[in-house]
Amino acid sequence: MAVSRTVIISCAGMGNRLGLGTTKALLEIDGKPLIIRHLEMLEHERDIRVVVGYQAEAVIETARKYRDDILFVFNHQYRETGTGASVALAAKYAGEFILSLDGDLLVHPEDLEQVLACDHEFVSGGEPVTDDPWLLQTYQEEGTEFVSSFSRTMGTYEWNGITQMKSRKMQNGTGHVFQLIEPYLPVPFLELRTREIDTVNDYERALAWVKNDFNGVGK
Amino acid sequence: MSGYVFLFELDAVITRQEMLPAISRKLGIYEQMCSLTERTVQGELPYKQSFLQKAELLKKVPLSLLRRLSGGLPLNEKLAEFIRIHRHRCHIVTVLPDVWIRELIEKTGMEDRIFCSRASAEHDYIQNIVSILDQNTVMKQMNLPCVAVGAGNYDAQIIQAAEIGIGYGGVRSISPAVLASASHAVYQEEKLVEFLERLL
Repeated sequence: MAVSRTVIISCAGMGNRLGLGTTKALLEIDGKPLIIRHLEMLEHERDIRVVVGYQAEAVIETARKYRDDILFVFNHQYRETGTGASVALAAKYAGEFILSLDGDLLVHPEDLEQVLACDHEFVSGGEPVTDDPWLLQTYQEEGTEFVSSFSRTMGTYEWNGITQMKSRKMQNGTGHVFQLIEPYLPVPFLELRTREIDTVNDYERALAWVKNDFNGVGK
Repeated sequence: MSGYVFLFELDAVITRQEMLPAISRKLGIYEQMCSLTERTVQGELPYKQSFLQKAELLKKVPLSLLRRLSGGLPLNEKLAEFIRIHRHRCHIVTVLPDVWIRELIEKTGMEDRIFCSRASAEHDYIQNIVSILDQNTVMKQMNLPCVAVGAGNYDAQIIQAAEIGIGYGGVRSISPAVLASASHAVYQEEKLVEFLERLL
């Protein structure tokens, strides 16, 4: 990618719905913490920021075992704020683009390569999987699919939290990541295969997905 | 341009080794020095008392020797270079007293841009610590938003007060108090300098 890009991995949250008492970035999938899975897939990215909050020291220690050139950004208000706040903090003084992903998301390795090769803004989603999804409404124009809105009720794809945007657009907000993006819609769409881990059932599905080499199971 | 003023701890941020452990090892008083540090870390001894007791230990050492040893400490050269280039926007802030660190500060080229503790000296020996650096006083003198870089407990206050407070863990581990008040943490000198350049 010719333009400068900062990758932001948001790992500040408490993972309450999972009920395991650990922040989700430290959750082991097939013997490997999620944060390490992310860092492995981002091996060739040179500008990585990890947002930490709950169990910050443990997340830092784990991430540093894999690579030592990460800039850690603190979201000390992780109890009161959403992932949007974490992204906004990390987007300040970043590269021209930020690529933002949640620490609790598994991405199909082949699809992540597609993400890393992308040199423009995008909002991504996939087939709706979870019980309470935020959906993406999209439209086609000259062979490109664009996201026109985020909705609870209407849309073809489920928003998965992965987006690449100009960093200057993403620096203010405390709620959801999509609320940072909304003023700038429409944005090109990118379809990705992912698994989000919010509940114990999600966790088991994600585990099966990884063990099956990211094939089929777990919908 | 951002307009930030940059404040750097000297010890274990600009220097590539922690000063007191490094020089006390050479002076044969490493165990005593470590015991004071340990008591401070455990919360048994307030930082200022610990500092004064460490100074007491070093009263028996000629200042010329102390200055030679501290002056021989290696610097984080990339960071030192950033400070030299942007010296008009940088300050060094350290609790270490002026009489111990003169040669070290000369190496940084920041003799006129340092806030530190002060000590009286006579016949090549330290007499008394005259004043201990007060971080609040330093921050009150800053008219512009600040970026502060530190590592130890003593740096936490200034890191908390700065607009951007960076814990640097490339030399020693970042203290829990700094982790609790910093906006950023970084563990590699190159990465620290890269981020500082974005803050210019």
